[in-house]
Amino acid sequence: MDQKELREWEARCIQEEPPACRAGCPLNVDARAFVLAMADNDFDAARGVLEKSMPLAAVTARLCEAPCEVFCVRANLGGAIAVGGLERLCIRETRPKGKILRLPARPKKVAVFGSGPSSLTVAFDLAKKGYPISVYHLGVKPGGWLRELPDSFLPQSILDEELERLGTLHVTFVSVPALDATLVQAHEADAVYVGQDDTLAPDLAALLGPPDPDTLALERSGWFTGGMEGREHRFISAVSHGREAAVSMDRFLQNASLTSSRVPLRSGRTALFTRTDGVEPVKRIIPADPVGYNREEGRSEASRCLDCQCLECVRHCAYLAEHGAYPKSYARRVFNNSAIVQGIRQANTFINSCSLCGQCEVLCPNDFSMADMCLDARREMVSLKRMPPSAHWFALEEMRSAKDGQAALIRHAPGTNESVALFFPGCQLSGIRPDQTLKLYERLLELEPRTGIWLDCCAAPAHWAGRAEEFAGLLAGMEKLWAGMGRPKLVTACSTCLKVFSEHRPDFGAVSVWTLLAGEAVAPGAARPALALSDPCTSRHDSATRDAVRCLLDKLGQPLSPLAMSGELTECCGFGGLMDNANPALARKVAEARVAQSDADFLTYCAMCRDQLAKTGKPVLHILDLLFPELARPASEPPAGISLRRVNRRQLKDAVLGRHGLDRGARQPWEDVRLAISAPVAALLEERRILEDDVRQVLYAASRSGRVLRHGTDSRVVAAARLGEVTFWVEYREGEGGFEILKAWSHRMRISGGDL
Amino acid sequence: MSLVFMPEDMDWVCEPCGERLTPGKVELNYLGNVFHVELPVCPKCGFVYLYEDLAMGRVLEVEQLLEDK
Repeated sequence: MDQKELREWEARCIQEEPPACRAGCPLNVDARAFVLAMADNDFDAARGVLEKSMPLAAVTARLCEAPCEVFCVRANLGGAIAVGGLERLCIRETRPKGKILRLPARPKKVAVFGSGPSSLTVAFDLAKKGYPISVYHLGVKPGGWLRELPDSFLPQSILDEELERLGTLHVTFVSVPALDATLVQAHEADAVYVGQDDTLAPDLAALLGPPDPDTLALERSGWFTGGMEGREHRFISAVSHGREAAVSMDRFLQNASLTSSRVPLRSGRTALFTRTDGVEPVKRIIPADPVGYNREEGRSEASRCLDCQCLECVRHCAYLAEHGAYPKSYARRVFNNSAIVQGIRQANTFINSCSLCGQCEVLCPNDFSMADMCLDARREMVSLKRMPPSAHWFALEEMRSAKDGQAALIRHAPGTNESVALFFPGCQLSGIRPDQTLKLYERLLELEPRTGIWLDCCAAPAHWAGRAEEFAGLLAGMEKLWAGMGRPKLVTACSTCLKVFSEHRPDFGAVSVWTLLAGEAVAPGAARPALALSDPCTSRHDSATRDAVRCLLDKLGQPLSPLAMSGELTECCGFGGLMDNANPALARKVAEARVAQSDADFLTYCAMCRDQLAKTGKPVLHILDLLFPELARPASEPPAGISLRRVNRRQLKDAVLGRHGLDRGARQPWEDVRLAISAPVAALLEERRILEDDVRQVLYAASRSGRVLRHGTDSRVVAAARLGEVTFWVEYREGEGGFEILKAWSHRMRISGGDL
Repeated sequence: MSLVFMPEDMDWVCEPCGERLTPGKVELNYLGNVFHVELPVCPKCGFVYLYEDLAMGRVLEVEQLLEDK
C-alpha cells in the first residue's frame, strides 16, 4: 500500500466524519463529546470540550443560539438534544479550566475596532497565536452590545472576568470616543479588523464596502471585517465571522494564501451515517425552572444523545471489534505495517485475521472492503517475502495434502468414458462427511449417469493466503485436468469452491449441487423444530444458491427460524480467509458470536461452517443430514478433527476407486503405525495442529534410525523428526496395542547440524 | 535469548549411544538468525533434546518475533 492508496482507503471510511451537531456548529465545537461528558456527569470534562473550540467560553456558552440543534439526528425521535440549554448548565456549574495558552510572541501587530462578539473573537483567536492585539472600543468597558444584556443572560461580572483573561494574552483595550474612518486609517497595525457588530461611525461604515464572502477580506490589503447584520443568529453568527476573519488575518500576516486548503464551514453537512432503526423516541426534557436545567435534568437530557457513529461494519464483525477501531484507522495500520523498514511489523496478525468474508463491504454506506484491503496486503507481504511462514502454513499443507495422490482423484463414472457433469465435493466436505459425500455422488449419478467425480481442493487457501502465483499455478493445473475430462460442467457442494471457480475459472461452468437438487423431487423429511439457517459467507453474492437451498428445505418440509444476519449479510464461521489459522482464538469468538444469534439449532450447507460452529458446542446440522436421514449425524456431534479429515479423504478416494475395482496403490510406509491416543492428548494435538500422521511419521522414522531418548527410570521414550519446515517431537510409551502417545510438540527453529 | 536451557528432568539416555544427556553448546537458527545456546545433548552423537516447555515457550516466542521482523 502506498500513500495514495492509503488516502483512497481512508477516504472510504466515514467514521471520522463529524457528527451532524459538530458539522452544524460554526465554531466546530465537538457537541457530541460535550453532551456525552454531560451525560456522564463529568461537567468539567464537558467544559473542557467547550473551551477547546469556543472563544471566551463563559460568554459564548451562555449566549450560543445552538444552531447545531437543527441538525441533531435525534430531532425526529423525541426532539433534538438541547445543546444550548446544556451549554448554559455546564458553564454555570463549572469554573474556567485555567490559564489560556498563548503561542510564542509574533512581531506583527493587530488592531481590532469595535468590541462586539466578532471583535472579541478575533482578539481571542489571534492573541492565542501570539499576536499583540489592540482592541478599540466605545464606552468605559469593552463588550459592545453584550453590555446591554440582562444579568439573567450574561452577568456583567462574568464578561469582566473573561475580558480580564483575554487581557492576559497581551490584548490591550483602548477606549475611544468614536469608531470612525480616521481612527482606522491612521492606525499602523499590520492587520486590521472592523467589527460591524458594534456602533461604527457612518464614515467608517461607508468606507468598508462589502468583504469577500469567504475570507471576509476587504478591498484594502490587510483590512478585514465581519459581524454584519442580517444573519440568523445575532450572537453566534458574529462569533463565527470573527473566527473566519481571524483565520484570514493569520494567513495574511504569514503571507499565506487566504483560500488555499481552507476548510469551508460545513453548515451541518457530514457524510457520517448513523443508523436510527430501532431507536426509541425519548422526549426532550423540559426544565422545571424556566431559567434552565438543574444537574439531574441536564444529565437526563444529555443521556438522550445517540452518540452518532457509523460503525456499521464494526457492530457486526467480531474481527473489526476485536482490534478496537474502525476501517479508516485500520487502513493506517496496514500502511504502517507495509512502510516499516526496521523493527516489528505489528499488524501482520491483524492483516491475516480477516476472514475476507465481505460483510463489511455490504454493510458500509461507502463499500469499504476490509477483504480487498487485507488480501492486497497479504499479496504484498508474500511478494516481498515478508509473510510470516507460520501464518497460513497448516491450511496450505492441508490444501496440498488434499491435492496429492493420496486423496485427489478425477474419474468418469464407473462404466462410462465421458462426463457431462463433474461432481466436485470440495476437500472439506470429503474430509468431514465422506459417507454423505459418496451418497450425494450416488444421487447425482441417478440424475445423470455420466457424472464424473473430482476429489481435489479448489486452491482457495492459496488465494486467501495471498499466494497469487501459487494460486494461479494450481488453477492452471486444474484446468488441464478438467480439459482432460472433456470440459464437463462442474457441480460443487461447497460455496467456497463455487465462488473460486465462478470468479477465477468461469469456463468451468460451475453450478451448486443444491441448485441442481432443488429442481428435482425430494421426499419430505421427518418433522423437526425450526432451524436457524446460516449461509456460508462465500454465498454472500450468490443468491441463486441461497434460494435453491431454501427451496430444497421447503420441499423437505424443514421450517426455518429467523436469523438476522443472513443472505447477503451473512457472517463467517471463523474459517474463511484462513482466520482460524492466523488467529484461532479470534475464530472461536467469531463462531461463538454467530451461534449466539439464535436459540434454535443451526443448519448450514458448508461442511466447514458446520464444524466451526459446532466447535462452540452449539448443535449444528449440515443439509446432507436432512437430505439423507439414513446417514444423518447428530447435530451435537463434535467436529471432525484435523487428523480424521486426512484419513477420511484417503478413505473416500479408496471407496470411489473400489467402485471401479481399483486400488489407491502403494500406501505410505508409516500409515500402518498404530497409535493409542487418549482424548486429552487428542485435544492437545488438535490445538497444536499436530496430525496423527505426523506422529506416525516421527515414530516410523525413529524405528528406522533407532535413535530415541529413553527415560532413565520410567518407560517414556522421546523421538523427533523434521517433516518439511517443522520439527515434531513425540513422547510415548511402547505397548502391545501400539504406541501410547503422551504428548507431542513442534518448532520451526532449526538445530544447526542437528541430524534428526 | 539467555544462554542455558535445561529441563527439570535430565534423566534421559540417548539410544543407541547409551549416554545420559548433558549440557552442550548448540546453534539454533531461524529465518537467517543464529542463536548460540546450551541445551541437553548426547555427549557422544550430539543429538539435541529440544524439550516441550522450551519449544512451546521461549522458542515459539522467538520464532513469532522473527517472523514479524
